[in-house]
Amino acid sequence: MVNLEDLKEEAQKILKEEKVKYIIGYKKSPNSLMPVPAFIKNPEDTEKLIWDPTCIYNLTRFLVDEKRRKEREKNPDERPVGLIVKGCDSRALIVLLQEKFINRDEVYIMGVSCENTGVLDEKKLAIKLKGKKAEKIEFGKKDNFVVTTEEGKIEIPSKEILAERCLECKANFPVIYDVFLGDKVKKNIDNPFKSLEKIESLSGEERWAFWKEQLDKCIRCYACRSVCPMCYCDECVVDTINFAVTADTTAQEKAQKIKWMEKSPDLSENLIYHLVRAIHLAGRCIDCGECERVCPLNIPIRFLNKKLEKEAKELYDYEVGFDSEQPSLVSSFKDEDPEDFIR
Amino acid sequence: MAEDFEPKIVAFLCKWCSSAGSDLAGVSRMEYPANVVPITVMCSGSVSPLYILSAFNKGADGVLVSGCHPGDCHYIKGNFYARRRIALIKNLLEYIGLEPQRFQMSWVSAAEGTKYTQIIKNFVKELKPLGPQTKLRRNL
Repeated sequence: MVNLEDLKEEAQKILKEEKVKYIIGYKKSPNSLMPVPAFIKNPEDTEKLIWDPTCIYNLTRFLVDEKRRKEREKNPDERPVGLIVKGCDSRALIVLLQEKFINRDEVYIMGVSCENTGVLDEKKLAIKLKGKKAEKIEFGKKDNFVVTTEEGKIEIPSKEILAERCLECKANFPVIYDVFLGDKVKKNIDNPFKSLEKIESLSGEERWAFWKEQLDKCIRCYACRSVCPMCYCDECVVDTINFAVTADTTAQEKAQKIKWMEKSPDLSENLIYHLVRAIHLAGRCIDCGECERVCPLNIPIRFLNKKLEKEAKELYDYEVGFDSEQPSLVSSFKDEDPEDFIR
Repeated sequence: MAEDFEPKIVAFLCKWCSSAGSDLAGVSRMEYPANVVPITVMCSGSVSPLYILSAFNKGADGVLVSGCHPGDCHYIKGNFYARRRIALIKNLLEYIGLEPQRFQMSWVSAAEGTKYTQIIKNFVKELKPLGPQTKLRRNL
């Protein structure tokens, strides 16, 4: 069990010793069950820190913002940032380290274990509670969640309200950390790609019908891109930020600017956007499920990324997020890579 | 109608092998379907996923990526990278429901003019019954 007091104490200690600039964690939201990210600078404020199954967000995204901010500063504070990570978040960190986007000494990792279960799915919980309001949710003793509602405590088996990704999580404890709280329990998952089976069993035309319906909904709000800790390119193919069309722009200049896809939310353009995003995340996506959670139209984006994770595992025996020293999937090869599809 | 359909193929040929191979087919006066729009790239490893998706988006019925045989790459290992990347794109396109015949990869060396014509002939033959590619095509 993660003892919350230990977590607060540790956070207080490193802030008092001035080992870190600030700590990124979770704190209670004033008006909702779900927590909000907390940026803690004062040792006294560590009292606000929480850790429970509602802490679903992947906080590693803030390291990308932190890096940008640091680049702009004249005299940046070189101390590391304290970061509270779950199993999946730590794998995201590994990828950022693997790509040398951040250095290991830029972050002080406080790992917490998911207590043999995982974090919950807000929507599933709402359905389960049938309109009752949950006030507090805790990890149960054995594979369940203890939910406190107005009418008292209820125990819910974790399987029923666990986030989709947690059902297929390979390691629900951090793989990299400076301090670690809780127990390392390895869950036994018979098939980490079980959720894909449903789509894969369909015929080509049925798969097309499925994706056509899903991706036609996309309104191109780019929430999936904003929330993704791996989407940190300075310029994304979908926007033309460094190309302002003014009255002086010549036709030639306009013609020379490559426009890979239109910004309009049409099916063909949405497809290109989502396929490009999926390809860019091949061998990098650690399945934190944030893109799917933030999607306002409930597009199952995770199934695109998950598919490529599966291909990487099956074709190239490549597992993401466990070793920060291994070369990345698309920048390495083996002589025995399959080539039966090549003529 | 189906018999009248002439598919449009965009072929990304590497400068050192496949492009020379297609050239050989040309200078040897071998006959093959005129459905291909060849685009010479410096290496099959330089073919970005965006090139392929963009080709489909702008109306290609089929896309071919062709490079040197493994071990023959002018840049030593470019085609090995391509092999991985193309496999991922191919599987992804198949996963969203595009017909697998529409996207192909081949190894064609500078001496294999006959092989090149054969690949194009087969490609066109496979694409004809499928009809025009409408799934990824921009329709504005």
